[in-house]
Amino acid sequence: MNPETRDQRFFDERVDAAFERRVAPLEALVAEADSVARACHAMAERFHRGGKLIVFGNGGGSTDAQHVSVEFVHPVIVGKRALPAISLTADVATMTGVAQRVGFGQIFAHQLSYLATADDIALGLSGDGRCENVLRGLEKARELGLLTVGLVGGDGGAIARSQAVDHVLNAASGDPRVVKEVHVTTYHILWELVHVFFEHPGVLTPEVVS
Amino acid sequence: MTSHAEHPDLASLYPFLYSGEDDVDGVLAEARQSTIDKTREIIDLRRQVRRQDGARLAACGAAMAERFASGGRLFAFGNGGSSTDAQDLATTFMDPPQGTAPMPAFALTADIAVITALSNDVGFDVVFSRQLAAFARPHDIAVGLSTSGNSANLLSAFDEASRRGMLTVGISGHTGGKMAELDSIDYLFVVPSPSVHRIQEAQTTVYHVLAELAADGLPGGHPFDAGGAATPEART
Repeated sequence: MNPETRDQRFFDERVDAAFERRVAPLEALVAEADSVARACHAMAERFHRGGKLIVFGNGGGSTDAQHVSVEFVHPVIVGKRALPAISLTADVATMTGVAQRVGFGQIFAHQLSYLATADDIALGLSGDGRCENVLRGLEKARELGLLTVGLVGGDGGAIARSQAVDHVLNAASGDPRVVKEVHVTTYHILWELVHVFFEHPGVLTPEVVS
Repeated sequence: MTSHAEHPDLASLYPFLYSGEDDVDGVLAEARQSTIDKTREIIDLRRQVRRQDGARLAACGAAMAERFASGGRLFAFGNGGSSTDAQDLATTFMDPPQGTAPMPAFALTADIAVITALSNDVGFDVVFSRQLAAFARPHDIAVGLSTSGNSANLLSAFDEASRRGMLTVGISGHTGGKMAELDSIDYLFVVPSPSVHRIQEAQTTVYHVLAELAADGLPGGHPFDAGGAATPEART
């Protein structure tokens, strides 16, 4: 052991504390089961109409965006149908181009303007609910008629309060790593439940909505 | 949590609008229960990982801190969903929560030109090992993630990393797969679950905890302040 680094007890204690920190935010997700179920129902309706899922986020959230898209396009459970999903963060050329030319706050809104159609779903991830580009993306999506879903954390920030977001799912933690972990569980459940709703097509086809 | 659903009560207000025999309330109840069940499952699984691997996580975190303190860098790799974990792990070190010192880290899935060039010219099995052969130095760290533990490109990457003196960390699932048969992995963490989704969720915790230990265990590093469930300073 390098004498400059900490002793082993430091690491043992940290492991215990880290695992403890992860329990309460998941208990909070249990309490939000109804919001999760309703978000999945709305998403399944959009897929049923032919819509696609468009996902975006920053930093760790950008890796989640790509995880969500692969989850839907190439399901891990054999026999589940592939559903259309794209991650806006996969196109680094456009992201950095728009960021440089217009500003980083506009990147997702710009991509949505050209890639989205009214039947689609916009899913924005923001660890603290304060990402300007995610909020602007969701606002643009709402303007275009998309279903809007926000996965946020902490106190939910401006995204949780925005009227442009149809479904807000909050990970109740101030630790961005724990927030991300709750988000992973949340979007795994979103994927799974969308397919549960597909098994009951009668709940996806309102005959008249005026 | 708030919900501004477009038509929150459409089904209950106008049940006749919905065709077929399926009952919306019934399916919503099934979805709610499923959400609760899956969430409890991951809470229990993390408990199991902590019991089974707590001490080795601490030892591995200490070993990683030692590598970083000696000038080492971290390389992460995985396929599919695990590739996004590799990228998350890299950015967790490069752009950590406030108060934590950044450390050099790179995901071997980040450069699509390199991935497609190696796949096209040589084969997909070498996409990680060839990069490690080019980048690796003895103080470096290799972290590979796989839910099955059977990905051929990971197996050859661990062998390459070990040959070059890297600290090798494997994060696998179920019963560990072929990764459990390698002697080129210094620390192997196997998440014992039959569900790929729950495995990924617990694996995320495994590498987040390792990252926290490795960064905060360095001289000058300090424990993450867990106080305040919703600090406005929390980063994006």
